[in-house]
Amino acid sequence: MSAKSLIVVDNVAKEYMRGSERISVLRGVNLALAAADFVALIGPSGSGKTTLLNLIAGLDQPTSGRVFFDGLEISKLDETQLARWRTNAVGFVFQFFHLIPVLTAYENVELPLLLLNMTAQRRREQVLLALDLVGLSHRLHHRPGQLSGGEQQRVGIARALVTDPKLIVADEPTGDLDSAKSREILDLLQSLQQELKKTILLVTHDPTAAARARRVLRIDKGLLVEERTNRCQRLAV
Amino acid sequence: MKFFLLILKNLRRNKLRTTLTALAVAVMVTICTEMMTILFWVHQHVHTQACQSKLLVSERWVAPSCIPARYLSLLTHQEGVEDWTLWNLYTGYLDASRQNSRKGFGLATRPDNLIAMHIGLEKLDPAAVLALQREKTGAIVSADLMEQMSWKVGQQFTVLSSSHPGKDLRFKIVGVLPPGEYVRNFFFREDYYEEGTGNKETITCVWLRLRDAETAQRVAGRIQEQFQHNQPELKVETESAGVARFVSREQALLSILKWVVAILVIDMAIVLSNSISVATRERKGEMAVLKVLGFEPLAILVLVVGEAMLIGAVSGLIGAALAWLCSALAVSGLLPSSSATRIFLSFPIQVQMIFWGALMGAFVGFAGSIVPAWNARKVRVSDVFAKIA
Repeated sequence: MSAKSLIVVDNVAKEYMRGSERISVLRGVNLALAAADFVALIGPSGSGKTTLLNLIAGLDQPTSGRVFFDGLEISKLDETQLARWRTNAVGFVFQFFHLIPVLTAYENVELPLLLLNMTAQRRREQVLLALDLVGLSHRLHHRPGQLSGGEQQRVGIARALVTDPKLIVADEPTGDLDSAKSREILDLLQSLQQELKKTILLVTHDPTAAARARRVLRIDKGLLVEERTNRCQRLAV
Repeated sequence: MKFFLLILKNLRRNKLRTTLTALAVAVMVTICTEMMTILFWVHQHVHTQACQSKLLVSERWVAPSCIPARYLSLLTHQEGVEDWTLWNLYTGYLDASRQNSRKGFGLATRPDNLIAMHIGLEKLDPAAVLALQREKTGAIVSADLMEQMSWKVGQQFTVLSSSHPGKDLRFKIVGVLPPGEYVRNFFFREDYYEEGTGNKETITCVWLRLRDAETAQRVAGRIQEQFQHNQPELKVETESAGVARFVSREQALLSILKWVVAILVIDMAIVLSNSISVATRERKGEMAVLKVLGFEPLAILVLVVGEAMLIGAVSGLIGAALAWLCSALAVSGLLPSSSATRIFLSFPIQVQMIFWGALMGAFVGFAGSIVPAWNARKVRVSDVFAKIA
């Protein structure tokens, strides 16, 4: 375990019951992620990528083992404590964007800030900054239905960034986009990691997306089976 | 308050469903408001101090009662009596058709303390009382009769007597009774009754106002005792007891009314619950996203319950305001006469009911949404995203 590790996964296992059958999704995973790193998690469908991401992001609890975030054992926290912790610590980017359709881009990005003790003026500044970072200052008052897929994902990224979390988890963020838009989103994630020093954990099937990461972890049948470091990350165009 | 915008925007998501749900609640609150007004009226009349400290003296065994006029001074000089009045019932047809629907019930009484001695006349225009004191043939007529007969103040009318001693009387309208207590009645002067009918020997009943309920009970006992061997014998009861007697007669009807109100409230809760359940099921993914963003389970519950309470309160407010408006229009004569407006004239809805309507709607929203909200708060983020993916 490195002293600089932001996230430490210690011998984590996760099992589900499907009817009377016990399904073992993760089987003793050990992992440490450094701060400001860009890590891709790859593997076939059903290998346990998303489950591992959920555990690291505090969306689920392991059956056994421990998960630490910045020294805090998040696998011990209850649902309410985890919700509070997530607001500040983790930003989420989803494959299907998951924006609230009745809210504008501005209001979607503002959502996580409503949970923080913050003045309206400060909230406004944060939201405008986040939307500016993703290049959507001109689309503040558009609803998701009025935005393209790429723009919706940018709003999703702005929403993930707005609370200034240390970790951004992205689950197949380019899975619902064409190749041009995918490139744009990956460029954006990469530049955020490099400029804002965010730790990015990217779950993907796409080898092109994984190539953007500094470190690639391959998971199969609930175990980490391969780890490699990309010698040179492809820079944002 | 920060979540209010989110709640408001959620209501705009499916405008048709929101509108239909709101409409269902509003209609039921409208009906509940009138029913609650009737039940409140009964409660008020049975339990208020004013009703318990007022005695109604009538003949025990005969209806309509017929008390010898010579009893009057014996009754009104009882110790503890602060004020008194009398009624002589004068019944007749209001036009030559002589139909029962055109019957009016005149109450000959003292004009000087008309307002003080009658519950429900607090809002009577004092100018009408003064006019009655000046005009011997004057009559203050119920809003219902005024509307039915299309009469105007200042107009004259003749009552074709249908009761003993069978003398027709002509009246001049000097005022209108406030809606509520007196539906098909008109008040006129006792001296005109005596002069016009020639009946100076009997009175229908006597009202006595005592200092308090305790004194009223004591005086009632004393009168019962004093007149128990007289012919005719007297019956003494408090005004609230009189209403209670009416209530006990109509108990079944009132029970039905209470049940109808309860059923309507439950029905509203079911309508809202169904609507909110559908909405939360549709938005399970969004609830999960909110949880991912850091919304605690309690916050999710508050969002769902808040949405239902808002729609309930607004619909309740609209429903009750509508009922009040109809009542106000009926009272002011701006609505055409119908069985519905008659109910409003008999039991006019008070403006405070708008507040109670909103409160009822909010309560129904809470009751109807608590189960779907509880389910929404338990949404497991990983389950929802696994299904979506």
